[in-house]
Amino acid sequence: MRTNHFIAVLFAASGLMAQSLAPLNEKGVPVGALAPESIAKTRPKPAFDLTGTWLHGGGPNNPWQFAPPANAKLTAAAQAQFDASKKAAAEGKAYHDDIGQCWPAGLPIIMTRVWPIAMIQKPTVIYMISGFMNSVRIIYLDGRKHTDPDIVIPSFNGESVGHWENETLVVDTTAFVNDHHWIDGGIPASDQLHVVERMKLINNGATLEIEYAMTDPKNWEGEWKWTKRWRRVDDQEITEAACLPDLNGHLPSTGDKTNVR
Amino acid sequence: MRTLIITSFVAAGFWIGTVPAQAHHSMAGFDRKNTVTLTGTIQEFRWENPHSSIEIDVPGKDGKVVTWKIEMTAPAYLVRTGWKRTSIKKGDEATIIGNPLFTGDPGALFVSIKLADGTMLPQPSAGKGQPK
Repeated sequence: MRTNHFIAVLFAASGLMAQSLAPLNEKGVPVGALAPESIAKTRPKPAFDLTGTWLHGGGPNNPWQFAPPANAKLTAAAQAQFDASKKAAAEGKAYHDDIGQCWPAGLPIIMTRVWPIAMIQKPTVIYMISGFMNSVRIIYLDGRKHTDPDIVIPSFNGESVGHWENETLVVDTTAFVNDHHWIDGGIPASDQLHVVERMKLINNGATLEIEYAMTDPKNWEGEWKWTKRWRRVDDQEITEAACLPDLNGHLPSTGDKTNVR
Repeated sequence: MRTLIITSFVAAGFWIGTVPAQAHHSMAGFDRKNTVTLTGTIQEFRWENPHSSIEIDVPGKDGKVVTWKIEMTAPAYLVRTGWKRTSIKKGDEATIIGNPLFTGDPGALFVSIKLADGTMLPQPSAGKGQPK
């Protein structure tokens, strides 16, 4: 309805909605994911509840890296970055270690930092708060679509919308920034990055398993896939962790001599 | 006796097994195959996220004192191996083992510390309790 659309655009333009366009109710008014009327709406029972604290933890059978597959074909620009990163590594240097300079890690690697992630699931939304820089990731489950590309604000974690397919939560994420964002050493992510995650609980709910499928035509050909696992860590908490202006001065690894920028 | 010793641990699996993974960014600048042993006086201990850190003054053979910056993991991981905010303070004598920077600059990734009373405090091991 054109009037509803006009109202939605008006709200967006007024700054009342920060990023994603909340669905409209029957009166044409946007309703946020935590609005009582949205939460109270009748929906199918979700297959699982992620509420809890989760830790990836790394390890040889569960690497935190999203390394390119063996047959990866990078674009010329991305290949140049990747080659430069390998050269830097051979020289004992980090390549564009943007995280070390306080840039957000962003999806997907925010998910596999060796820091716990607090996940809070409501019927309409999941909040994932990483212990690493307290990065907040929001997955909308209220039926909304991705925000109009002309309105959406690019971010490091992107805009995630999810839906249930039987026992699996399928999360689609777009709207990423176009710089200072990497999926692995020397592998850049662009504003064309598209991440699809298929999430399910295994081991009687003790393990979260996510299958990743990613495309980024600015940086590589085709679709890259990985499977990662997190364990529920009921004995851990997230804490405040900020990248402070004076932090790097005390860390040997973030200095100019040890980084190629 | 205050000393600085550089030791190769290429074949020493013990150190490989204790390489810290709780880093918030790239650790490519550190030589994980070698360690330095730094004996001196603590100048500062920062107990903070995402990385704790130590500054220690280490006299060289020529008597010149060099301040080394030691990068550690987060407090939440350090407490699991016995660390406290009060474990060390300015003026304490200690011996620190760390992985040095490839550049040769006075910086290292923390491996362990031995305090004046003989107490040993390590860096937490990586990959503990990972899902199978």
